[in-house]
Amino acid sequence: MSAVANEALAYVDALHNLARHLTGNPEDAEDLVQETYARALRAERQFTPGTNLKAWLFRILRNTFVSTYRRRRRDPTVGGLDTVDEVPGALDQAWLRNDFELDRLRKVVAEEIEAALMTLSEDARTVILLDLEGLSEVEVGQVLGCPVGTVKSRLSRARAALRLKLRDYAR
Amino acid sequence: MNCADVRLNLRDHQEGRLPPTTEDALQAHLVTCPDCAHVAAVDQELTDVLERRLPQHPASFALKRRLAAGWPVATPRRAGWRAWRPGHLAVTLAAAVLLALPLVYYERAALRDAGERRAMVAEAVNDHLRLLSSPQPLPIESGGLHQVKPWFEGRLDFAPVVGFEGDAEFPLKGGATGYFHDRKAAVFVYTRRLHPISLFVFRAEGLRWPASDGAASTTDERGFTVVLWRRGGLGYALVSDVDRRELSALADRLHMGGPDMAPQRSPRPGKPGARLGITRTLLR
Repeated sequence: MSAVANEALAYVDALHNLARHLTGNPEDAEDLVQETYARALRAERQFTPGTNLKAWLFRILRNTFVSTYRRRRRDPTVGGLDTVDEVPGALDQAWLRNDFELDRLRKVVAEEIEAALMTLSEDARTVILLDLEGLSEVEVGQVLGCPVGTVKSRLSRARAALRLKLRDYAR
Repeated sequence: MNCADVRLNLRDHQEGRLPPTTEDALQAHLVTCPDCAHVAAVDQELTDVLERRLPQHPASFALKRRLAAGWPVATPRRAGWRAWRPGHLAVTLAAAVLLALPLVYYERAALRDAGERRAMVAEAVNDHLRLLSSPQPLPIESGGLHQVKPWFEGRLDFAPVVGFEGDAEFPLKGGATGYFHDRKAAVFVYTRRLHPISLFVFRAEGLRWPASDGAASTTDERGFTVVLWRRGGLGYALVSDVDRRELSALADRLHMGGPDMAPQRSPRPGKPGARLGITRTLLR
């Protein structure tokens, strides 16, 4: 247990960052991280030494979040909008041809980026953040429980959706 | 490679994760497709923006402390396990044994004491039954306590101290010598209606008494009630199948009778059972 515990605690910042972006508030994020570690502790024997502990912990966090928010989803104020499949390609392309809009994107501030991210669905936020965290597509697939091809498509659509949201903020 | 393939592989393209042939095909497409070239440029900008400006939320120190406390972390010694094991394992085991020994000792002692107390109660009932089944249960018939007590002289290596000579409710029927557990005993037999009541008096030392000196302990065994107490180096076992309240009443009289049975602690001497807590114990 000691080796797993030592390594697991090294990922607490990354886990908390994802938790914060998923839940949208610090209290829920801390609860989510604590519950993640509690579940990890209980399921420690299921972890295979030598495999990716970071991905394993992210998977536990994501599953904990999904199971928790599945109950809360009756509350319409909780959870982001799933706009991943709503990317109008023509609009996106028209905006991209405008160098002026590209310059505006470069000027968005941190709050706007975070606000735009929070409008995406939980799955879209998760895949974007795991990718930013440096996880490979294989590792993201382990977290989400899906093949690499699905990860690639989800990531592509999620980023396209985020670009659209940022376009609104950049106007 | 078409536009959809390019959009799908943009992140891998940015991170240099594409195989060379795929990377070549993607770059060739970007040269010929302005839309995909713009998407690639903006997506690269998105990556830069996210990496540089997206607020990060590291865990607070308080959370880290809580997690560290809740998930005990051993000092890193896994790599040195092979070297550590032969020398320190024996020390660890020895320490564990030393720590466990007192617990094992006291647990075994407690079990032994409980076992011996149960044995005393069972022995009292057996001796009571043995006396009743003997061909001559009462060698000395009672003409009163002043006749019975002298009869024991020369038959025992101690003088039984009994102050209650019997009354209308609990007449003294007589006495006998017998054994209690592993030692000789004086036996006084009282009756309550048709029920015989045996009082064994014996040397108290060397037995596991259930209560402190002067206090009584009452136990039911096989339909009999046994009251055990000790005082002044002598042990007493009162055994019968009469009602517990009635046996309690006799126990009180045995304690109150005689100057040598004066109570050691008696908050209310006039109240039956108050002297040694007999009534309280029996009625429990």
